[in-house]
Amino acid sequence: MEQLETFMVESPDAVGAKTTKTLIQDVLADLSLNRVIGRLRVFVDPVEPVFIFAALLRLGTPAIRLKDFAKVDMGALGKDEVKIELLREAFTIKLLNKLWEKYGKENIVQPDKKIIVVKTDPIKELDVLREIVIEEPQQEVLDRLIDAIALRIIPEGFRVRKHELSSSHVLFVASEDTLKPEWLEKAKDIIESLRRSEDNA
Amino acid sequence: MLEPVMYEGGVYKHNQIIELVEDLGGYIIQKNVMQTDVVLLMLVPLNDMDIVEEKARELLGKLTRAPLTGTEIATVAPTLAYHHLPHLDCDVAEFLRKKGAKTNMVGLARGVGKRICQLSAYERDLINEHDLAVFILGNYEHCIIEKSKRLYEGIEVPIVVTGAPELKLEDVPNATAYVGSFGRILHHMRHSEELRTLDKLADVIGKVLDNVRQEIAKDPPSVAPPRIKKEIEEQIPEIIDSLHPLPITLQMNGARVKLPYEEYHEKLENIQFVEGMSMKDVAQVLPSKMRNFVLIRARPKSETGFVI
Repeated sequence: MEQLETFMVESPDAVGAKTTKTLIQDVLADLSLNRVIGRLRVFVDPVEPVFIFAALLRLGTPAIRLKDFAKVDMGALGKDEVKIELLREAFTIKLLNKLWEKYGKENIVQPDKKIIVVKTDPIKELDVLREIVIEEPQQEVLDRLIDAIALRIIPEGFRVRKHELSSSHVLFVASEDTLKPEWLEKAKDIIESLRRSEDNA
Repeated sequence: MLEPVMYEGGVYKHNQIIELVEDLGGYIIQKNVMQTDVVLLMLVPLNDMDIVEEKARELLGKLTRAPLTGTEIATVAPTLAYHHLPHLDCDVAEFLRKKGAKTNMVGLARGVGKRICQLSAYERDLINEHDLAVFILGNYEHCIIEKSKRLYEGIEVPIVVTGAPELKLEDVPNATAYVGSFGRILHHMRHSEELRTLDKLADVIGKVLDNVRQEIAKDPPSVAPPRIKKEIEEQIPEIIDSLHPLPITLQMNGARVKLPYEEYHEKLENIQFVEGMSMKDVAQVLPSKMRNFVLIRARPKSETGFVI
């Protein structure tokens, strides 16, 4: 998949638009967000003043749960414990941290590199443990994206903001003054046009 | 008339140039030794420039005019946020420092926006303690012009404004000079054209400061700021223990001394000059807005009637 198939900064002020484009490129590169944004359109009118940032997102892998990389079973017969057998070691540190937080260090035993035993009621906890979320790449990316847009790209003085955020798009309208309905309309139009070009491609 | 110059050369025998300048009645303002290289910022009497140039040639060093030497410049950003830091603001401050100025960064509390921007009384007074203020503004022509109408209220020092569009000075209200091709840049300025832009900024600031120098020369200070520095270093030994960068920062019309005002202002006022005056006869010793430092402002000749 190509990165940034559409990247437009529109403004009545041509010099400003060019500098803003460089600025956005710098920020996206700094926070390694280039692959996350598929299509991006920005509209700035400093006279109004309004700043509209609309982008279609391409978020990566969904959340990783314990059952995705480990076998979770009852422990030894007659004991209150759950046995976790790791198939991949990549997430062990994060998993251990989560388990320590939830059950306490004294209740976690790791007799072998790939085996973790949790001392808890297996009937109640087995399914909970299977579904426990170890890593959320999407959430991390979204956090970075908000950091980039809200804290670095939108001009600082534009403190009145309205935003929409979903797993497929992000939309920010910002201004120094009260937001006008026509700007919100325009922002919707921009997102729609991005969606259309995505569908046509 | 003292001329601000920068000497770049080897460490070997560089003492000779220091001694020569001091013998001629000039001053060494700063000495930076970097491994085998040395950079000296100094003030040399204009009439004796040839002798110093000759010596520099003999030592295979380079002598360049550095009009920013001995000045303190405020680089002002609308706030201290990611929008302005570390790039651009720090780049500008560092570049001016390389050219010989002492720069202080000022982040305004409510400097953002074209309609809502404000300058507090404290910020205004702090900026007025400098020789010049560089306001680093953004990308859009309209915003720079609107903001300039209100943001610099009460600032009496020359104001240099930077921004993305190439504007004429007449279009930017209240500014002394304007430099384009900057804008809000969020990467390190290291490409050749960006470095040229920084060079241009340094040139413009140099010209503005030269004009100020000419103005000051019409009614010269009773005591030259480097002389103030020299006497403080000789008579108040505690200054050596001050760990602040440049404990005595020279300005065009005085100096900032990084010692607590309450404790030291009497000592500073009573510094004696060989001509028979004390510091309070030729300069005002004032509390600075920066921490609890001391600000020394030389009195003009028209007030005292003499120049030492």
